[in-house]
Amino acid sequence: MSATRRRRVLLGLALALPVAMLAAASAGSVPLPFFGVLASLLHGTGLGAGAPLPPPSETILWVVRLPRVLLAAVVGGGLAVVGATLQSVFRNPLADSGLLGVGAGAALGAVAAVRLGWAGSTFLALPFAAFAGAMAAVLVLYALSQALGGGTLHGLLLTGISVSALAAAGTSMLLVATEEFRVKTVLFWLAGGLDGRGWVHFRIASILILGGGATLLAAARVLDVLSLGDEEAAALGLPVHAARLVLLALAALVAGAATAAAGSIPFVGLVAPHALRPVAGALGRHLLPAAFLAGALLVVLADLATRVISQNVDLPLGSVTAFVGAPYFLLALRQSETRR
Amino acid sequence: MTAVLEARGLSVRRGARLVVADVSLVLAPGEAVALIGPNAAGKSTLVRALAGLLPPSAGEVRLRGRSLKDCGRDGVARAIALVAPDEAPPATITVAERARLGRYPHRGPLRPFTAEDDTAVARALERSGVATLADRPLATLSAGERQLAALARGLAQEPAILLLDEPAAHLDIGHQLRLFRVLDEVRREGVGVLAVVHDLPRAAAWAERLVLLAGGRVAAEGLPAAVLAGSAAGEAFEVAIRAEQLAGRPVYLFDEKPSPRG
Repeated sequence: MSATRRRRVLLGLALALPVAMLAAASAGSVPLPFFGVLASLLHGTGLGAGAPLPPPSETILWVVRLPRVLLAAVVGGGLAVVGATLQSVFRNPLADSGLLGVGAGAALGAVAAVRLGWAGSTFLALPFAAFAGAMAAVLVLYALSQALGGGTLHGLLLTGISVSALAAAGTSMLLVATEEFRVKTVLFWLAGGLDGRGWVHFRIASILILGGGATLLAAARVLDVLSLGDEEAAALGLPVHAARLVLLALAALVAGAATAAAGSIPFVGLVAPHALRPVAGALGRHLLPAAFLAGALLVVLADLATRVISQNVDLPLGSVTAFVGAPYFLLALRQSETRR
Repeated sequence: MTAVLEARGLSVRRGARLVVADVSLVLAPGEAVALIGPNAAGKSTLVRALAGLLPPSAGEVRLRGRSLKDCGRDGVARAIALVAPDEAPPATITVAERARLGRYPHRGPLRPFTAEDDTAVARALERSGVATLADRPLATLSAGERQLAALARGLAQEPAILLLDEPAAHLDIGHQLRLFRVLDEVRREGVGVLAVVHDLPRAAAWAERLVLLAGGRVAAEGLPAAVLAGSAAGEAFEVAIRAEQLAGRPVYLFDEKPSPRG
């Protein structure tokens, strides 16, 4: 794992991401000129000499496209950081935020908000309910694992599966009882996507995701020690259970914020860190930033794909990441099985 | 010699089973002690309890005269390094990165590593004979190489006490001799070294003192030749042990004891 290769990977990602974001801001049902977008951004942010786009395009860029692309980047980066964290905490290269019950809890919260009619009447009720559901699921997971045996790795994993199954059961129950005209709102959210998201979504999500991600990065050494296994970590002086719970809480916060903002975006947390681990290295301080950039790139491109393809068919963002992620997952699985 | 590590009437339970029972032993700075005993004698459990990883059900472990539970987890980790068989650390972490994590007890989660840490890590890699493997991910190593990488992590910790659980299990004879030479060097620098060793002649050749554990209790303790010649060793392993001299060095011969039949 040479340092030069690591730097090259990081640099490549750091260059690719803004280009992809520019492309994503340009493409869509109303195409905007790539360099015109760049000029408008330079002008609008005061970073350089540029010029605004003609009136309707300028509004489309700044009100619709830009917050959406930024949110895509933050959500993707957040999910990837969570995946990298959980893979170290659970010492399993194929771990994902699903293990924490975040997705299932968020779905339950979202469905409850729609069933109760809040989603239609109150601004941002759906994402907030989804976030509350995600956090509630993690709290239940924490309480149960403490009550059942003090938070061993194995116990956490199995408890997470049970909590997810319970939340999914609740979601189905509420969904069946929801009026048909409201079901579509939930389905759109469940399928994952960024339609109609604006600056307010980006602001709230980015504070939680970037804050949580930065804290995880600052605690990267704890993550590394923990990834050596409970016994070695304890022998190195780490309070294993407490450290694991803090890291899981931060991961849940980031994953909850990402899921609340964009619905379920599967496989990003799995693919981005998994693909980068061999080139970026296993240490948290190397892997987390690279995974963030890769996850951001992945979701920006996936969202771009949905908008280009959706001119013909409706294609949810979550489906795009799954179409890309599931085959990758299977290939990775086969590789790890044959290596054995 | 004052003890740097001492167990007093130490008992450890795993579940309902009493695995270590009323063990008292002392490790002095610069001393080499081999812990021997048949399978399931409680050796690994005892080593982990000495490292503060398993709580005693009775008695206590004292580090420089203070009970381990008053030393704090990080205080213990700064003084005691445990090198145990691999728990399958992440496959992509490199030998050097793992050794560097041995500096965690000294730097904690946030303080940056310094030149002092770099020196300690480089020295540990060199000594363990894995300096040439420093940038290799652990997954690409053989079992023996991984074991030496684990030793490098322990040495990077720069402990006052080095505890090892079967450090030579996967090593070829050349690497075994190298390992015990390194342990001797470390010991001469004043580190108290206690190792679980399965190979009795190797244990006798290396250690200054043998502690024989059987059924969780200390069955015999003392100079290697005396412990292996004693009746307790033969009984514990259910073998007959005979010592001969060859080229001025003791050679041990083992024969299966016919199990007593009525």
